[in-house]
Amino acid sequence: MQDPATPPSIVSKPHQESSVLLSQDENLWYKDAIIYQLHVRTFCDSNADGIGDFRGLTSKLDYLQELGINALWLLPFYPSPLRDDGYDIADYTSVHPSYGSLQDFKDFLAAAHHRRIRVITEMVVNHTSDQHPWFQEARSSRENPKRDWYVWSDTDTRYQGVRIIFIDTEMSNWAWDPISKSYYWHRFFNHQPDLNYDNPAVREAMWEVMKFWLDIGVDGFRLDAVPYLIERDGTSCENLPETHEIIRKFRKRIDEAYPGKMLLAEANQWPADVISYFGNGDEFHMAFHFPLMPRMFMAVKLEDRKPIIEILEQTPQIPETCQWCIFLRNHDELTLEMVTDIERDYMYDEYAVDKAMRINLGIRRRLAPMMENDRRRVELLTGLLLSMPGTPIIYYGDEIGMGDNIYLGDRNGVRTPMQWNGGWNAGFSAADPERLYSPLISNPVYGYQAINVDSQRRSAHSLLSWMKSVIQTRNAFRVFSRGSIEFLNPSNHRVLAYVRKLGDEKVLIVNNLSSSAQAVELNLQMYKRHIPIEMFGRNLFPRIGDLPYLLTLGPYQFYWFRLRRI
Amino acid sequence: MAEESFLADEFLRQLMSVGEVDLLVGIPSYNNAATLGQTLQSVEESLRQNFVRERAAILNVDGGSTDDTRQVFEQSADPRGASHKGLTSLRTIHRISCQYDKSPSQGWALRNIVAAADLLRARACAIISPATANVTSSWVANLVRPAYREGLDFVAPLYVRSRFQGLLARDLLYPMTRAVFGQRIRELYADEWGFSGRLASQCLEKDVWHEEAVRARPQAWMAITAIGGGLKCGQYFLGPKGAAPAGTGPDIVEAIRQTVGNFFWCMETNQAYWLSRSNSQPVSTFGPDHELSSDGIPPSPEKIFELFRSGVNGLEPILASILAPDTHAQIKAIALSDPTKFHFAMELWVKTLYEFAASYHHMVLNRDHLVQALVPLYRGKLYSFLLEHANSSGEEMEAQSEILCQEFERQKPYLVERWTAKS
Repeated sequence: MQDPATPPSIVSKPHQESSVLLSQDENLWYKDAIIYQLHVRTFCDSNADGIGDFRGLTSKLDYLQELGINALWLLPFYPSPLRDDGYDIADYTSVHPSYGSLQDFKDFLAAAHHRRIRVITEMVVNHTSDQHPWFQEARSSRENPKRDWYVWSDTDTRYQGVRIIFIDTEMSNWAWDPISKSYYWHRFFNHQPDLNYDNPAVREAMWEVMKFWLDIGVDGFRLDAVPYLIERDGTSCENLPETHEIIRKFRKRIDEAYPGKMLLAEANQWPADVISYFGNGDEFHMAFHFPLMPRMFMAVKLEDRKPIIEILEQTPQIPETCQWCIFLRNHDELTLEMVTDIERDYMYDEYAVDKAMRINLGIRRRLAPMMENDRRRVELLTGLLLSMPGTPIIYYGDEIGMGDNIYLGDRNGVRTPMQWNGGWNAGFSAADPERLYSPLISNPVYGYQAINVDSQRRSAHSLLSWMKSVIQTRNAFRVFSRGSIEFLNPSNHRVLAYVRKLGDEKVLIVNNLSSSAQAVELNLQMYKRHIPIEMFGRNLFPRIGDLPYLLTLGPYQFYWFRLRRI
Repeated sequence: MAEESFLADEFLRQLMSVGEVDLLVGIPSYNNAATLGQTLQSVEESLRQNFVRERAAILNVDGGSTDDTRQVFEQSADPRGASHKGLTSLRTIHRISCQYDKSPSQGWALRNIVAAADLLRARACAIISPATANVTSSWVANLVRPAYREGLDFVAPLYVRSRFQGLLARDLLYPMTRAVFGQRIRELYADEWGFSGRLASQCLEKDVWHEEAVRARPQAWMAITAIGGGLKCGQYFLGPKGAAPAGTGPDIVEAIRQTVGNFFWCMETNQAYWLSRSNSQPVSTFGPDHELSSDGIPPSPEKIFELFRSGVNGLEPILASILAPDTHAQIKAIALSDPTKFHFAMELWVKTLYEFAASYHHMVLNRDHLVQALVPLYRGKLYSFLLEHANSSGEEMEAQSEILCQEFERQKPYLVERWTAKS
């Protein structure tokens, strides 16, 4: 381990056979990132209290470096009553005592940077916890100076028609406050009052929060629930121009004072609507591509590339400095908001037959159980994730094929402790098992005795070893992170084939989405005389000639080829 | 020497790319550029609306069109437009096409379609004619669904008919099919029908595709193959069927050659099945089992009687070799009657047809000539029908049709007797 006192250097070094990774556009680091998403609570417990903490996480950074990821996205770790897993923040500028101290965070950050791993934190800008001092003051009286920091009304009929997001738990976007005897606006849980961004003092306070963490050294923020910052009568109260204006101002201040820091938007919308959050390259650097994710699952189940092609064809171009974030699974349910009713019904029937697997408009399951523990399908989906345009996000535990527990309530079933080994508490904590913040996964298929990091480290053919290999390959070629994409559309619809291009670098990706062997003929006339070189085994394939290029693929098999003209 | 594969390599290549499907819709075409686009749109709409999860392919089998039929099929745009936000059917709806190097024939087209159904392992198929003016998206769904979801193997259409539409089917084909094969399927010679993948595979294996009867009108053969194989048949009410433009359909001689000739051939090849059966059974029917609208103008009877009378006279030696002497005598007698009081009795009509069928079996003369000799007699029956029903309502005509069917069933032992008699 290197000396943590060494000043952090996160300039990427060129891979041996890589296209050149230059530092001149280092500010665009997020485009080349592979992000690993985790909750501090879930990862490693250093003090045997049953809850993961920053010291525990710091001790596992070598593992993450070994995996090959180069950015971490941490879920909220701030003081909070934890009624929404930390998205109900009660203090924006310190660390929840269960996870350690602010100094622990600073030590972790330095250690991560030392390993050239960037750190992205959550900035829950839309709302606070009702326990936050701001809200406590605001509700204390109608005359309080902070009263106008939240959105109040004497009736619950204002902004009628605005959709309710948590349809399983909330009946209205208004909640009654018995203290100040008026209603307050909340787009999420009723204990999460929305901040009033029409108030300049709120905007300034949130900027101070950002500055606090940027000064410490975080590399970017994921801004939670950004479409909902502003409310206006007669609108959906989503994606309003005033919201964009606020974002632009935050971005301008960041660019001026903290160049190289990144803003990531959480806007669960159609691509054509999300595009506005990139602005002219002057709002967010990145945004999640929500509609793509369910369609990757759909395509594999349907054995048909149509859903993926269709959504990507409808995805507009984004400014040069911007990037989509793509993912398979995360800490939330697999959201099915950005699908049609027909598609949602299909996804439920195929991936969530048991009603306990469903929550809100989505599916609360992890990747491996959704794939019925079929290694080939897990690899295929991961291969898609890592080869499509965008910055991929890997959810903790998916690299070893962790399972879930759909009976834990809310989305806690996909937030169980990381499984490090087959020993005491899966190596997650030395506490008594009863003290753990969550039960471990313990069934014979996905339990920690069967699925854990240590056992997979010992096998060159484990899922973990494969993940390292495929991440290493992706990291070695910038064409994956920055290249264009061109779909080939062979007549065999079960095969999804595309070429990624960046300058002279060309990579051909061919995926068999079906459970049976397939033959496919690819029109590669543009690449005549090129030699396909399989990227994992580095084997040469026959040179591309005049005829359609014939490939055969086993069930769920995929190829990545470099196309070289030698 | 083994027959060369009739599947073109390019067609096979397309099938390989499609893989396996749940549904296959076949569109046989020959110079249908003007209407194919609309048909295709209806088919795609039906698949998108009714079978969102199913794997589906649309197959155009062309008989060598000299217009732009094939280009229309391959290039007609998806009507949804590029700005549509999501996302439509879940799956790719494949379009595949082939062209056979024979003269246009429904049989050749069907052979390619059932071969595709077999290779693609389609569970249910439909044939849709681009010549039918008013195909709607519900037609496709209604023909496919009983085979896909209800376990039927053959699905005939039912149409709203005007009183004077489809007289050949009502006076001859339907009652005779019903009596001979014992199943009450009304429209055996329609241009649209549905069938199961299982029936497609069975038909593909039959060595009959070079037979004239199958080449010309394969649909009834397919139905009778299903009946003979003990498979389930049904019919689905589709609504009004647009009449083909005047002059585009076959004339009465050709129509009788194709349909009656086909039917007699089916009797010949399935005699083991029908000889021992009596009575008839209704089949699964979705919607009303018939509907005669009160509109429709009767064809002019002028000349029909003259053509009947001259035919009976001109074909006397031929009719003598086909018909029993008593039957022949009765026909000659009515041919001499006053046209205004003419009546072709039901009993005589049934006996005449059964004797024609038996003579076809015994090959008393060239079978094609034999079938053509029926044409003037059918004209006589048609003339009689028009005289009797000029002012009848749809219900009255339907009631009469049912009596005729019962007469065919009553006389079936006579058919069996003539059929099995030593020539």
